[in-house]
Formats: sequence, C-alpha cells, structure tokens
Amino acid sequence: MKKGNKYGIHRVIEPKGVLPQPANKIDNNMDEIYDNEILIDVKTLNIDSASFTQIEAQAGGDKAKIAEIMMGIVAKQGKHRNPVTGSGGMLLGVVEKIGDALIGKTDLKVGDKIATLVSLSLTPLRIDKIKDIRPEIDQVDIDGKAILFESGIYAKIPSDMPENLALSALDVAGAPAQTAKLVKPGDTVLIIGAGGKSGMLCCYEAKKRAGVTGMVIGLCHSEKSTKRLQELGFCDYVFSADATQPVPILEKIEELTNGQMCDITINNVNITDTEMTSILCTKDTGIVYFFSMATSFTKAALGAEGVGSDVTMIVGNGYTKGHAEITLELLRESEKLRKIFTELYA
Amino acid sequence: MTKVCRYGTHRVISPIGTLPQPAQKLDNTMRIYENEVLIDVTTLNIDSASYTQIKKACGSDVDKMKEMIISIVEERGKLQNPVTGSGGMLIGTVREIGPAFPKNKLKIGDKIATLVSLSLTPLKIYSIKKLLSSSDQVDVDAQAILFESGLYAILPKDIPEKLALAALDVAGAPAQVDRLVTEGDIVCIIGGGGKSGVLCCYQAMQNVGPSGKVIVVEYSKENAQRIVDMNLATDVIVADATNVMDVYTRVMEITGGRGCDVTVNNVNVPSTEMTSILVTKGQGCVYFFSMATSFTKAALGAEGVGKDINLIVGNGYAKGHANLTLNIIRESKPIRDLFEKIYI
Repeated sequence: MKKGNKYGIHRVIEPKGVLPQPANKIDNNMDEIYDNEILIDVKTLNIDSASFTQIEAQAGGDKAKIAEIMMGIVAKQGKHRNPVTGSGGMLLGVVEKIGDALIGKTDLKVGDKIATLVSLSLTPLRIDKIKDIRPEIDQVDIDGKAILFESGIYAKIPSDMPENLALSALDVAGAPAQTAKLVKPGDTVLIIGAGGKSGMLCCYEAKKRAGVTGMVIGLCHSEKSTKRLQELGFCDYVFSADATQPVPILEKIEELTNGQMCDITINNVNITDTEMTSILCTKDTGIVYFFSMATSFTKAALGAEGVGSDVTMIVGNGYTKGHAEITLELLRESEKLRKIFTELYA
Repeated sequence: MTKVCRYGTHRVISPIGTLPQPAQKLDNTMRIYENEVLIDVTTLNIDSASYTQIKKACGSDVDKMKEMIISIVEERGKLQNPVTGSGGMLIGTVREIGPAFPKNKLKIGDKIATLVSLSLTPLKIYSIKKLLSSSDQVDVDAQAILFESGLYAILPKDIPEKLALAALDVAGAPAQVDRLVTEGDIVCIIGGGGKSGVLCCYQAMQNVGPSGKVIVVEYSKENAQRIVDMNLATDVIVADATNVMDVYTRVMEITGGRGCDVTVNNVNVPSTEMTSILVTKGQGCVYFFSMATSFTKAALGAEGVGKDINLIVGNGYAKGHANLTLNIIRESKPIRDLFEKIYI
C-alpha cells in the first residue's frame, strides 16, 4: 500500500499544497487505498442543511434533478462540497477495508457501522447510484464508497437506537460536548437559539452541569419553539425575543440575574448580528461560545472592545474529544430529548 | 433628564435600538449627561484603513481630506468612515466629569487617550489645525464624549504622547499573551514582526522562561532579522503563513513533532487559519488577533482535521492592558527605539 499523509493531502489534485477541504478537486479513486485510510461502503448521506436547501431550490424540488446536481458535484470535485454554500454534511456506512498502517491503532474493524463526523466537504466520495431522497430530513440513500483519513473523526453507530436518530444528534455533537466542558456548578448560563436542535441539547446539558445552584436561561425566537422548550422543562427560564436587538434582551437578563449577568453565553442561532447581544449579556469575566456559523469575527472582536468588555470569546469547534459519546448518552439519559428528536428529526 | 445608559445608547439618533457603534448617527451635543466625560481633543489618531481610504478618495489633497473628515463628523456625529466602518483613537484633556461617572478614576485636567474606537465616540470638530498627508495623526480643535463603559488610559509623563498612542493602539495583544502563556510553553507567533507582533514576542519571551520556546513566523526578511537582532524569539521562520504545509513542517521540526501550546495570529492577510490550527497541539489554544480571520474557516477547519483546541476571538481589551503595554516600552530599550523610529 502507498503511504498516506495524516490529513489526506496525498488525495489533493488541485490546487497543490492545500488541504482537502479548500481543494477544488480530490482523488476519489477507491480501487486502491493508502496505508492510513479507511474505506467505507456508504449507505446514507446526511447533507448539510444549508447545502441541501440550496440544491433543492436549484432543482425546483424535483428529485431527479436533485440527484443529477449531486452526481455532478461529486464527478467534478471527487467530494460533495456544495459549490454555492461551501458546506458538506456527514455520511453513514459500513467499514469495508482498513489500511495496513492503522491495524492495531484503530478501534474499528471491518463490518462496523459508523457515521463520519468530518465534513463531506473534505471526504473523497464516489456515488454509483442514488437510491432514495428524503428532502424533509436532508438525507439521501446511495450506493457508493468514501474514504476516511487518519485524522478523520467518526462515531460507531450504537445498537440501542435507530440510525437516523443517532445521526441527527451526531450532526450537532460538538455543541453539547463543549457545553459539558464549559459549564460548572452554580453558573448562570444563557443559551441563544435555545429552541433548535443543538440549542435543546445544550440546554439539557447546561442544566445538568450548572445544577440546582445554577441558572439556565433559554432565548428562543418563534413562539412555537419557546413553548416547546418551556414544556421540556430543561431551563429555569425561557423567553422569546429577537436576538439581533441587544438592548431589550440586555434589560431582561439584568432583571433575571439581578444585574449579575451570565457566566457563560452559548450562541446557537444561525442569523447575523447577534454578537453584541451575546457580549452584553455576559459578565466581563465570562465566556461567550459562538457556535453559530453566521458569526462575524470582526463584529465580535470590535464589539467587545467597543463596550470595554473583557469577555473571552471562543470560536465554536465542532470537535472535542468524546463529543459523540457525550451526545448519544444524552439521548439515552433523557426520555424527553429522545422523544422530541424522534418526532422532529428521525 | 433622559435615562442614561452605560453603553451610550441615549446618544443614538438613528436607528433607534442599536448601540453607538453600528448606529448611523449619534447626538454630538457637547453637553454631558450625568455618566459621561467631556474631553477637549488635541489629536485624532485615525485608523489606518480609514485614513488610507480618505487619502485615496481625496487624491492626497490636504484641504479635501480636511473637508471630508469634517463632513463625516457633521453627518454622523462621530468619525466613523462610511466605507471602512472603522474609527481610530484620540488624545485630549478631561474638561468635565459627570456626577454619575465612576468615581476617583479621572480628574479634570488629566491628559488621556481613549481606547474605544472613534467609530462610537460622539465628536465635534471646531477646526483642523494640522493634517499631513503622510501621517494618520491629525491635530484638531475639537470635543468628544467618553461613555461610562468607555476605555481610556491616562498618558504617562515619561513617554512621549505619540509613542504612547502608537503602543496603546495594540495594547490588547501583549496583555492577552500575558494571560495565556505560562512557563515552559512553546508559543508560535504568526506575523511576529509587526507592531503588535513585537510586543507579543517580548511578553511571550518573558512568560515562557528559559525552558520554553517562542517561534516567530514572519513573511518579511527584514522584519524577521529585526526579531533575531532584538532577541525576541528562540526561533524565527521566514515563510508565507498561507502556505500551510511549509509552515507546519518547519514548526514540527523545531518542536520535535509536538506542536505549540499557544499560537497567536497577528497577520493581516486572509487564509492563515489552517496554519494556526495545525501548528497547535491538541488541547492547545489559538488566539486570533488578525481582523482578516474568517470565523467559518477557523471553526470548520479545526473540525475537519479533528483537532480539539480552543480557538479564541481576539479581544482588543483586557483589564490592565494599557499599563502592561506602556511598561514594555519602559522596560525594553530596543522596542522603544524601534517604535520611536517607525511611529514618531
């Protein structure tokens, strides 16, 4: 077997010298694998929601056209990176072959069912046939193969829950796992965008960590998600507001915390201009964790300086050690979470 | 009396509900509210991106530049460049202090530099006294308002004003380095040869002690040589920081494959996020000071290579940052000489 690079640079065709994610074209020849790669027999692609929405719109909702666009992307790039949104997604499949250099080093064996947790935007992929498209949950069943690089992260699919349920939670595994690392007993935590998929997981985990002496506040946008979160009962307080308007939210948080403000603010909301709200609601010795991909780096950096806040602002990292295990465990622990995830996403 | 806000929202004219920085127009009436400070302004230090834009738009014509600056302030009540969105800082003397402004910190007659951006500071210019097309420091007869949340530094007597201003402009960077770096750490400073880079290197060398390493990655040969001459790093790499694999390989050679505990990114060009992430070891930390950082490139990049590291958004403010930075100027003669040569 040929020797491969940890990050998969050996598969980059052009431009040379870049990593697989920014590359325009990568080698998706699966007849032969490198010594540090894992070959996966792919069953299902879970397309990133921004990417799927764009493809669906471009195809006018026609399934045959969606299939054509997807085949076209992979034929051109050797991976499923949406040329408009730049995003990918994840996949579900079975381990078919393990490179020589990984034998004894990986906990995977041939036949294991896994989900890859690295983006499809950097994963070599070959689609032989598109079998079924489920637009309501962004999933596509295919016949095809993919490569997992040595640095690639994955999760074994547990046998005690349906595949789709596991996949929907693994998609946002980073957020609750980072929450678990950040929140300490007694903390006051604000979760912005608390009613969505990652928001609900974060609320549950935050309350678990903050304990009875802590306080978890959930900020939602729509009335429906506010009500849903209230009924779940994870938060000490849930309210509905427009997260782009800092002043009313600031006043509300002042009131709820007796002017103390929050130790930790977790931003999960996928709209622009919520940086100032996150900063102002946080103590100036506190932490803001930005999970939202709509975060503007400069708005956050200049915003904190502009109001003289010494807050620590962290760029949400979708990966942290043990994130898949932590997240799947939440679905086992909480009957309510499992039920709502099954209803909404599985 | 209008209800006052510590962030100055009581001065926002339009659009209502925003903070002073994103606002289109501020009330620049120079009569203070109870929690404000009135400053007699002597010098504006215009942000370099803004200054360059103004200069270009006016074809370097001094009179036109003056006119443009005055018209921006007349229209917006603050000196926020409508194209770049940026501001700058100012130097002035405290004229009046509101009764509700935090006590015992300032007194009338103190000479201060404001450390919050001009892009949110109510300003009224009476006349421009001196503007040179070669300098972004403009002498004026003007007044400005400092909000309750506004940051400032009292200018020291032992450091010339303009030198202090140049150093205070990037005060956040060395102060954050001081917090992050501990004894024995391996630190990588990308873009280490510039103004904030030099200050970061000095502070990092102090903190890592004899058992640690400070590795500088710098594009310009001249700046790299300066770091070597001033002994501000243990290792200096001349490289293009956007070339991920080149920098990665060389940093790994120096660190014996271990990677860095802390990486500080000061370089103002895009696409250096992956380089910063790859040279940092697992559980380590990357501090992005560069305003050219892309949030999504950093977030997705770390996940893409399965790196469990902390990625931090550079905050220009850290408690005590002004003092720490001025102390570096006092302690290090080579840095003082360099800054005097370049910035005064």
